[in-house]
Amino acid sequence: MKFHIKQIAATVVLAATTLFATAQNADQIFKAAGSPANPKVAISWNHYNDHAGITEIVKKIAAAHPELAKLESIGKSFKGRDIWCLTITDFKKGTPDKKPGMYIDGNIHSNEVQGAEFSLYTAWYLTETFKDTKFIQELLADKVFYIVPTINPDGRDSYFHEPNTGSSPRSGVIPVDNDRDGQIDEDGYDDLDGDNEILIMRRKSSTGRFRVDPSDPRRMIQVGTDEKGEYEILGLEGKDNDGDGQVNEDGYTFEYDPNRDWGWGWQPNYIQNGAYKYPFSLPENRAVMEFVMKHPNIAGAQSYHNAGGMILRGPGDPTDLVTYNAQDVQVYDAIAKKGEELIPGYKYLVVYKDLYSAYGGELDWFYGGRGIYTYSNELWTPYLFFNKDATRDPQDNSSFQFDRYLLFKDAFVDWHEYDHPQYGKIEIGGFKKNFGRAHPGFLLESDAHRNMSFTIYHSFHTPKLTVDTIVEKDLGDGLKEVTAVITNSRIMPTHSSQDLKYKIERPDYITISGAKVVAGMVVENADLNITSEQKTNPETISVNNIPGLSTVKVRWIIQSSGKYTVTVDSKKGGTAVKTK
Amino acid sequence: MSKRTTAFLFCALLVSLAQAQNNYSNFAAQSNRINVLAKNYPQFVKVRSLAKTAGGKEIWQITIGTGNVDSKPAILVVGGVEGNLPLSTELAIGFAENILQGTNTDSIKTLLNKTTFYVFPNMSPDAMEQYFAALQYERQGNATVTDEDRDGNSNEDGYDDLDGNKKITWMRIESPVGEYKTHPNDPRVLIKADISKGEKGKYIVVAEGIDNDKDNLFNEDGEGGVSFNKNLSYKHPSFTPGSGEFPVSENETRALLDYLYERYNVYAVISFSSNNNLSTAYTFNPAAVAQTIITGWLQPDTKVNSMVADLYSKTVNMKDAPAANAGGGDFLSWAYYHYGRFSFSTPGWWVPKTKPDTAKNEKAFTVEDATANYLRWASQQGISNTFTDWKAIQHPDFPNQKVEVGGVDPFVLTTPPYSLVPDLVKKHSSFLVKLATYQPEIDLVNLKTEKLAGGLTRITVDVINKGALASHSKLGERSYWVKRINVKVNAMGNQSVISGKKIQLLNALDGYGSQQLSWLIKGSGKVSIEAGSPTTGTKTVDVTL
Repeated sequence: MKFHIKQIAATVVLAATTLFATAQNADQIFKAAGSPANPKVAISWNHYNDHAGITEIVKKIAAAHPELAKLESIGKSFKGRDIWCLTITDFKKGTPDKKPGMYIDGNIHSNEVQGAEFSLYTAWYLTETFKDTKFIQELLADKVFYIVPTINPDGRDSYFHEPNTGSSPRSGVIPVDNDRDGQIDEDGYDDLDGDNEILIMRRKSSTGRFRVDPSDPRRMIQVGTDEKGEYEILGLEGKDNDGDGQVNEDGYTFEYDPNRDWGWGWQPNYIQNGAYKYPFSLPENRAVMEFVMKHPNIAGAQSYHNAGGMILRGPGDPTDLVTYNAQDVQVYDAIAKKGEELIPGYKYLVVYKDLYSAYGGELDWFYGGRGIYTYSNELWTPYLFFNKDATRDPQDNSSFQFDRYLLFKDAFVDWHEYDHPQYGKIEIGGFKKNFGRAHPGFLLESDAHRNMSFTIYHSFHTPKLTVDTIVEKDLGDGLKEVTAVITNSRIMPTHSSQDLKYKIERPDYITISGAKVVAGMVVENADLNITSEQKTNPETISVNNIPGLSTVKVRWIIQSSGKYTVTVDSKKGGTAVKTK
Repeated sequence: MSKRTTAFLFCALLVSLAQAQNNYSNFAAQSNRINVLAKNYPQFVKVRSLAKTAGGKEIWQITIGTGNVDSKPAILVVGGVEGNLPLSTELAIGFAENILQGTNTDSIKTLLNKTTFYVFPNMSPDAMEQYFAALQYERQGNATVTDEDRDGNSNEDGYDDLDGNKKITWMRIESPVGEYKTHPNDPRVLIKADISKGEKGKYIVVAEGIDNDKDNLFNEDGEGGVSFNKNLSYKHPSFTPGSGEFPVSENETRALLDYLYERYNVYAVISFSSNNNLSTAYTFNPAAVAQTIITGWLQPDTKVNSMVADLYSKTVNMKDAPAANAGGGDFLSWAYYHYGRFSFSTPGWWVPKTKPDTAKNEKAFTVEDATANYLRWASQQGISNTFTDWKAIQHPDFPNQKVEVGGVDPFVLTTPPYSLVPDLVKKHSSFLVKLATYQPEIDLVNLKTEKLAGGLTRITVDVINKGALASHSKLGERSYWVKRINVKVNAMGNQSVISGKKIQLLNALDGYGSQQLSWLIKGSGKVSIEAGSPTTGTKTVDVTL
């Protein structure tokens, strides 16, 4: 059956390729504002792609735009799939790994799939709009994007190709004996009706607490405490495979949580459910960690999850509250509040406070362990059904209404009878796994675009350094005082306060070359002439931080008259040069 | 000469080499001793390299046991937890040698039929070589290149042997703002002046070296590296020197953890490190276990700790152990809090508390100090040449100040003269062998069958733990890396389980603890009941219905 599906998929891809080959020529197209007209890589953004599909797309992007995109595999998954990373920047300008970097990934949880499409859309958009969008040209001259569409390719494919719900699997696929009986994955879900979906089982019961909604017979509603119901809900499709009196208690769909595997505040599984052996004990996360360690220029990061319509920042761990100090929260707030404007229906929230406590999450390590300003967006919100806030009211049937009038009941499997070995006569039905957390096709592109615009805003506000002015003053006796003003014209500092607290990244270096240097100092207050001298190695002044939307002044006393050059070299802030 | 005679002589030579051991073994000698064991006792030992460190040294694993070793309850023995304690490796290899020399006795044969020992003699081979190096100093970090002071440069300011004695000792700088003064009973020794008692210091004391990078810090970023005993995941001291960029960052740490998490049969972990819960057991602290992230041993586990500590003290007979506090990232804590096993550690030796020698007119110390105590003990033992007398030098960082280099040698406070090692090995081996007799062991007793009407039988049985140690730590009950006791009723054919579970998982059984189970089974013939877990072994009884 699986083989069959693959064959059909292959045929579809082939057909699609043929179609693209005969795409319209440029004359037939009138550009819609803000979208690439007649792109080199034609992709439709109303479906999902498995790992093979992603592989094809990233290869096409890299092949079509060799001066803007480079493809590498940053490691292999447990089952040996490549974890693809597209590096997107203007390769003709500057050294890519010295530009302030924006890291984007998706799909850490297997079923949270659309992060991959959103990431791919970003890579596609940046490369396709570069030729006629000045803003993107400037952005890619200054910045570099590292885009890893899925950091969990095994889980992604198992979500698509194995029977699942919209919420499973969350985990990757390394087997774990969750119930500790010495057997592994001996009792998972069972696709009883063979439709590649795990749905709900219900059974007629005189003591049941549910009845059919008269306004939509597909929908089950809970009866009031003084009412009589007609159905009981038996849970998700499955049976007691190992005869231990429990149903679906040890399946492959929850082995561990890849987002509890990161090296900041990590806790073992009895404290943090889902933790595996130790930080980065999962090969996919290890690959990401190694990549990040090799790219200290990454200053901002985005990790795409679903669902709920949230822009999340840390801490996930309440004990990390002290880690997020006021300056950093200010940066987080400034960027995320813009995000709320750009992505209607999404709310800016803090994980531990608004969601739940979680130890060893990805965003905790990115910020706590590396000092990188990081958000996790929970993609998709029921707000997008009818562009109004969803409610938790049990009478709210907007998902059924949406399916009925906009998807024409494509998202629901009607209740049908089944003879269950343990429960007897039951009925199976419910929403398909592609509904509820994943975007419906027609909303995928627009929400991808909005989320991308947020990451672009985020990346735009990674530091931008310039050697602004160089002022000279003659001190007599052949001595000259040279004062250089270094400006950071964006919101983010070169070192987050977390970074400064633990000295995660080295200081920024401001160097004068081509001059005979007698002394060097940081100017703390130019007006009152307060300086602090750096006694050793005065040519290269070491400053701990260049704050956002601010300046740093350094001064040298030199003994020469020729030309000289001032260079700024910051790991997260990039480089800047000026010659005088 | 026949080949056989040559082989015999070669063996004899190896044995005599092993016996002629008169100093701590460097890495090459350690490897040699380990591989000799594999050659001499192939039926009892498997040796393999678990991993290689950043310095390219093997992490050796010695597995001692018989038959299917991974299916028998096991004790883990770990040395070299800290690279500056060569004794710890000596105790681990010595234990392996000792127990294997006993394999011709019935008691050891019986023991190795029941128990497996996984021995990792040296988790810090890169660091431990510093003991044997041309320049001797106490080192814990491996060969990973690190930037300890996080200034963007690596290894730019290590120790410097200013007096040329091939050892890193101490410098004292005369200063009106010094915090140290001389010890009232031994002027060679420096102690902190107690300002609250109106005392005044005379010296600044720092380890021997130069401020090579002129940042006003001495020896803050030398060679090496990450310390195994700071690299584990429990309370990892992130961003402090030697801890690694994140928990479990190092090859050897990862390899060990990957291996151990798959060894469900390990019930006790014994490590030789500066931490010590064998001389004084952990006590129960209700506040520490009431938090989400627990920081104290659960009450039933502290009782086990007391029992094992008692066994240790009786076996090794050493008193007055110095107090030790596990510092976070350490192996002792990891093995309990994250691995969920009974975890014990001892330094294996410490300087005994000395009494003043009245013949030499010595007086009791007015201020307790480890170095002063060591020097008195050393002189009573006839040990000399472990103290370098203070000698003035010219120091580039203190051009106009009096700087003297000297002090007690590295290692000597924690590393006994080698002549004491064989006895320490014997005592610690004896402790490990005795600990194995505490091993949890499952049994099914008091089996009772009652015939009810119509082919219905009620079976009752007590699942008991015959060992002194609990089947699992109480904390381990919470972790899925610890397998619970699984009780299965193998009903077949016309047999069906009417009441009671066909498969059930039990929580930890205390030492000498029991739990009664019963089932109603319909049918006839024989049914078997099986109970077991990797740490307790498995027991099966057949019941006739």
